[in-house]
Amino acid sequence: MAILTGDTVMLIDGTANIIVIGTKGWPARGISEPTTEAVIRGPKEGFTETYRFNSALVRRRIRDPRLKLKQMQIGRRSFTDIGIMYIEDIAQPELVAEVKRRLSTIDIDAILDSGYIEEFIEDNPYSLFPQIKATERPDKVAAALYQGKVAILVDNTPFGLIVPATFNSFFHAAEDHYIRWIPATVLRMMRFIAGTLSLITPALYIAVTSYHPGILPTELVLSIAAAREGVPFPAVIEALILELTFELLREAGVRLPTLIGGVVGIVGGLVIGQAAVEAGIVSPIMVIIVAVTAISSFSIPDYSFSNAFRLFRFMLIFSAAFLGLYGMILGLLLMLGHLVRLKSFGTPYLSPFVSFTASDLKDTIVRLPMFMMKNRPLGIANDKVRMVNNRHEIKKGANIKEKEKGEDHNDKE
Amino acid sequence: MIRNNDNISPYQLAMLVIMSIIGVGVFNIVHVIAKFGGNDGWIIMTAMGIVHIFLAFLFIRLSCRFPGKTFPEYIQEILGVVLGKILVFAISCYILLNLAYEVREFTEVAKMFLLPRTPTEVIIFALILVCAYVVRGGVESVARVVEITFPILFIPFFLVLIPGFPNLDLTNLLPVGSDIGTKFTRMIPHAPHAFRGIEYILFYIGFMKRPQRAYKPVAWGLIFVTGFYTLVSVIGIGAFGAKSATKAIWPLLLYIRNINIPGLFIERLDGVILSIWVITVFTTIITGFFIVTYSISKVINSKEQKQFALPLMMFIYYLALQPAGLAELYEWGDWIFKYVSSIFIYVIPIVALLIAAIRRLGVKKSEDF
Repeated sequence: MAILTGDTVMLIDGTANIIVIGTKGWPARGISEPTTEAVIRGPKEGFTETYRFNSALVRRRIRDPRLKLKQMQIGRRSFTDIGIMYIEDIAQPELVAEVKRRLSTIDIDAILDSGYIEEFIEDNPYSLFPQIKATERPDKVAAALYQGKVAILVDNTPFGLIVPATFNSFFHAAEDHYIRWIPATVLRMMRFIAGTLSLITPALYIAVTSYHPGILPTELVLSIAAAREGVPFPAVIEALILELTFELLREAGVRLPTLIGGVVGIVGGLVIGQAAVEAGIVSPIMVIIVAVTAISSFSIPDYSFSNAFRLFRFMLIFSAAFLGLYGMILGLLLMLGHLVRLKSFGTPYLSPFVSFTASDLKDTIVRLPMFMMKNRPLGIANDKVRMVNNRHEIKKGANIKEKEKGEDHNDKE
Repeated sequence: MIRNNDNISPYQLAMLVIMSIIGVGVFNIVHVIAKFGGNDGWIIMTAMGIVHIFLAFLFIRLSCRFPGKTFPEYIQEILGVVLGKILVFAISCYILLNLAYEVREFTEVAKMFLLPRTPTEVIIFALILVCAYVVRGGVESVARVVEITFPILFIPFFLVLIPGFPNLDLTNLLPVGSDIGTKFTRMIPHAPHAFRGIEYILFYIGFMKRPQRAYKPVAWGLIFVTGFYTLVSVIGIGAFGAKSATKAIWPLLLYIRNINIPGLFIERLDGVILSIWVITVFTTIITGFFIVTYSISKVINSKEQKQFALPLMMFIYYLALQPAGLAELYEWGDWIFKYVSSIFIYVIPIVALLIAAIRRLGVKKSEDF
């Protein structure tokens, strides 16, 4: 029976006992490129559904005996393997203990994805903003562990969790550290600008056109008014119609097979966009506004984080429709008031922007060169010093001299 | 690790000082300066700023005597429980009044420039509702909001001021220093108008781990405020001259309105500036509002300050709606800031310090900063 289910049976001459060795193998998805966090430059391995593969992927990046993997099982019926990974002398013991404590409080019959865990151990589950980072990339997990964070790997899902997560870290892509620092900084800034745009563009448009047309130059006001001529709705309704259409298209596109997905684009882009304008339901400027918003929202690297922005965008649309620019700013202040309260496992969500130390700002909106980031950021690490800057050594001991010009060379000889 | 301490860092203290003093009054302050200080208003402003820095140092000295305690706590030691509580309650009422004034003044500005047809009640209610939400988060939330909004507020503001510099006529500032004595005496009663909010320092130092380290941030904060006021008054007087600046209620907004940046797709900058100026009103209110909720919680001996935010919000709302219009509001303001404010800003802290010194309360020497 054991042989038939894939185990190996070992019979030894002269003994009465049989040893059954568990050598079951099962089909597992191989390691493939992460679909949600693709990079151009950098490792292209992603986590897979097999927990052991995942831990091995991280271990390959941290060959330190102090890398700990504490295993536990959660789920009264599913007995899902959960691994807590951290580097012993970098991660603060309090943080590790807190993660273990929160995990041990979970009592549920089955864990099917790390999303279950996330919801159980988050600081504020009622917040729109994710306070735990989910990632498919082993290099991201390794980088987080080196910063003194703690990773949680869950069996049967390619998404590992990283705690604590900050507002700032959701704007970072893995690639930022693999490409050269100047483009990385510019790209990061663009991402922050895109995040802001995706939040406020429709609200700003509504506020300005319906409350304060005076702050725009006369020509622009006239062209907006001309474009809006014949549109029967106020700007809010117009914005809501288009935004909702866009969100529907997006939602439809996510789950469709790729072959049909293209059709959604055609239906959405051409038919709805073009036809709605021609039918006079929305103005062409509104289409541009929604398109800018959409593109901006796609450049936020983290999916669940961009969802928070999506919802806040609608809140801002309403507050701008209600009180103009004033309402929009109040909406943003409300969001800020919420963000400063949030914490992720004891770390302020907005750090290092709040209660900051200047050295932590090196890896936020900008990404300074590696050799300038000598310390581990965020102040959550025990062992602060990350590296020693040897940059000056390179200049001092340059072995390869610039080749002198051929003519001079000949003269000397 | 779980950093849920009710502490503020020195940097946050500096930001609190700046953001609590600079409020919506900035638009009006140029008017006041030009009216009483004439073309030398900016010199008087600088001088007053320096005096207030030393005043703030007295606040710190008082707090240093009682490390780890906040003003509402140690005033009960100095004056006795009953008298201390009455005083704290009086201060809370005064700050509430102050906040209501601030809210209403902003509402009037906003109605004039941003939302002419929206009812006053709605503008006020929306603003203080958001404020109450932040104040419920405690001192940490307030300090962090202030910390983050500082660059968001001032960088665009300075950027907007710069293109208007060619419009300035600095000869309006001449002759420097003529008849400065009388101008000074006329100006002094209006000092609280500019520097109200400085008394908040007294409360916030108590949240620092080591109050001895408060000197530097407080000094820097006040230097920034003084510099800002001086710059604004130089701009106001330089752009319009002392006489015409007196005629406008908000000379600074007129100055900003007149700025025209070629090639920019925004034509009237005053609307933009005013909408980001919501932020400063917001921070002025939350810094004061937190103090009120905190003080009340100390008066009633309650551990939490959260639950007082919403009921007290109603008071602000009610008080803010009392003046019939702008003229009555400014009459009100004149009365409050000339007499009431002076008592709370200058008299009470100094008297408290004297009593503490005479009764030899608290830690005597704490110069180890």
